[in-house]
Amino acid sequence: MAKDYAKATAVAGRPAAPSALRQFSVLLRKDLTQEFRTKEMLVSMVVYAVLVIIVLGVALSFAKPSQEYLEVCGGLLWVLIVFTSLLGLNKSFSREKENGCLEGLLLAPVDRGAIFLAKAVSNLIFILLVEVLAVPLFWFFFASFATPAETAWLSVVPLLVGSVGIAGVGTLLSTITVNTRGKDVMLALLFVPVVFPLLYACVSATTATLLGGEVFAATWTVSLVLAAGYDVIMILAAWVLYDFVVTA
Amino acid sequence: MAKEKKPPVLPEAGQWPDKVAPVALVAGAVLTTIGFLLTFLWVPPVVGASVNGAALIGDSMVTQQLLLSQKIFYFHMPVALVSFIALVFAAYYGIRFLATRNARFDACSKVAMEISLLFIIMTMITGEMWTRFEWGVWWTWEPRLTTYLILMLIVIAYFILRNAVDEPERCSVYAAVVSIVALIDVPICFMITRLIPSSVHPVVLREGGMTADMGICLAVVLVGMLAVGFALYRARFGQVRLGQRVEALKDALEEN
Amino acid sequence: MTQPPAIEAAKVSKVFGARKALDKVSFSLPQGAFLSVFGPNGAGKTTLLRILATLSKPTSGDVRVGGVALKEQPDAARQEVGLISHAPMLYPDLTAEENLMLYAQLYGVENPRQRVLELLDAVGLKHRRLDVVRTFSRGMTQRVSIARALINNPSVVLLDEPYAGLDPHAVEIFDELLATVREGRTFVMVSHDLDKGFAMASHLLVLARGKVVSFGEKEDTDRAQFEALYRETVGMGVA
Repeated sequence: MAKDYAKATAVAGRPAAPSALRQFSVLLRKDLTQEFRTKEMLVSMVVYAVLVIIVLGVALSFAKPSQEYLEVCGGLLWVLIVFTSLLGLNKSFSREKENGCLEGLLLAPVDRGAIFLAKAVSNLIFILLVEVLAVPLFWFFFASFATPAETAWLSVVPLLVGSVGIAGVGTLLSTITVNTRGKDVMLALLFVPVVFPLLYACVSATTATLLGGEVFAATWTVSLVLAAGYDVIMILAAWVLYDFVVTA
Repeated sequence: MAKEKKPPVLPEAGQWPDKVAPVALVAGAVLTTIGFLLTFLWVPPVVGASVNGAALIGDSMVTQQLLLSQKIFYFHMPVALVSFIALVFAAYYGIRFLATRNARFDACSKVAMEISLLFIIMTMITGEMWTRFEWGVWWTWEPRLTTYLILMLIVIAYFILRNAVDEPERCSVYAAVVSIVALIDVPICFMITRLIPSSVHPVVLREGGMTADMGICLAVVLVGMLAVGFALYRARFGQVRLGQRVEALKDALEEN
Repeated sequence: MTQPPAIEAAKVSKVFGARKALDKVSFSLPQGAFLSVFGPNGAGKTTLLRILATLSKPTSGDVRVGGVALKEQPDAARQEVGLISHAPMLYPDLTAEENLMLYAQLYGVENPRQRVLELLDAVGLKHRRLDVVRTFSRGMTQRVSIARALINNPSVVLLDEPYAGLDPHAVEIFDELLATVREGRTFVMVSHDLDKGFAMASHLLVLARGKVVSFGEKEDTDRAQFEALYRETVGMGVA
């Protein structure tokens, strides 16, 4: 029996915990497998996106369709993205909570940063997937009659930068709000003001690409640089603070 | 000293700062009053200008009455500064709480946030007056106004969050994290709204430097407001800690 | 060479504000022991278990699990510990095998696939390994949960109210399974079930208000006396 103890307790005989990168990829694959099996989050996000588009359609139904629409379009597109991501972010952590799974992960020798990055990246992937569907749909309903500037295709860049920031900050905040009463509202309350600066920069950059010309020259670079700066600072902060939040 | 019969450790408040606080309150009240008098009696209405009837300054028509509205600036700016300083303290204590897990720092952070909220609300009110009379609109998405609106929303969310978490330690950790996020977010918000040229809204800001006497007046009010903020902080902190002390005593009584 | 104790707690306190969830809890548990922790609600049982599982950090004091200090080497300690609680910690939309593979890879288990199949066989669910956990009964889920907790071959297994929500049949199976993995491992169980806890235990720990009321080997303890003590402490919590 003593041999068994020795076998069971020999620390030297233990395999070293896998690298953070390896753990990250294992965790990410877990999220993707789960989502692509149930499609719960993606379906609800897409349906919600369509609903937001309908509401926006009603809001604009008495405005005369014209080239000026382009000035508003960029902003409305971000309304769509923010509300749709909010829905997805809420879902992403309730799944971890359902069976106490998050504690299961914390029991293992997992790097806390790896948990954050895996969750943020999976959220980013889902948000981007929904955008691939929702943005063309948005275009079809609102802007197909206007001719945007040649730079319009560049709006992919702010979409990407914005989604990265939303996923990063959203992951931190949804980890907090999943443990609160009335978590859906709580996430919105925290998320919208915190992400406001990013939103502002992204709307500016998107509008610049749609209008082109003078506006583009004046605002494109500065908006993008600031949005990217927000991403870097906030994601770094979220990464540092995540350890406290997830183990609280 | 008899170390054996140490009473249970109870939450305390009231070290030297509490002795200073009443003095600070009086000093603050005096200074802000002096500042108030100075703005009307000493400082010239606007950068070296006094207007009879109406005149065009910058791009807007200005009358003497409008220039008087400028006085609100001497309160608006110090109040805004104090609210931000309180936020800095809230985040600072938040960091210390995360490092030590000492409930005292959580109380500090929470009370600093309350002071911040109080001064933010005063900032918004004085800011509204300024916006209405100086720029002629009720609201404009001007960088400073926007930043303060966002700041106010985050601080309100902070308190709603505190109420929505049941476990005390978890609540404190979340609150500390949010206070730090708020402190990082707010300057970024200001930078972004400031640096991105707005193509839609006209720039309503009138350029104008500050003269020395304006600066002095501003400094007097600022110091006064800081003292008032500090005194309020200590008063509220003492109250919160006393509440916690009562709870702890109740627990201790139940135990025996 | 003498074996280090399986669990060694020295003046472990968990304090927040004026509230002491644990107040200088000290005990030492030899390897292979089965410790039952009793106490009224809010006595700090779960807090103690969470500290042993490295889910929560003590405010002060030292804990060693299998000779590894939690404070200095949390990750090494995590390799020594498995936790079975009333929450299964399994993703409902992944299959039993996927769930176990996930944990095996997080722990860095060698030959993870082989280990997972071995464990599924041991808990008698090999034939259901490709089914999603959501479709399992409560008892089956708890069996997968046992496999999950043992994936890293822990020397210390923590049980947090493992019988909660199990029907009598499932309890029987659970006990049988526990007996098969009992050998060579140290167990700590928190349960409200006095009979069960007493029957299985080799050591008993009673907590009240975060303090150790009694700790000792079962042989030294008289059942009737212990029950009286238990009623008294539980009564304390109610009052």
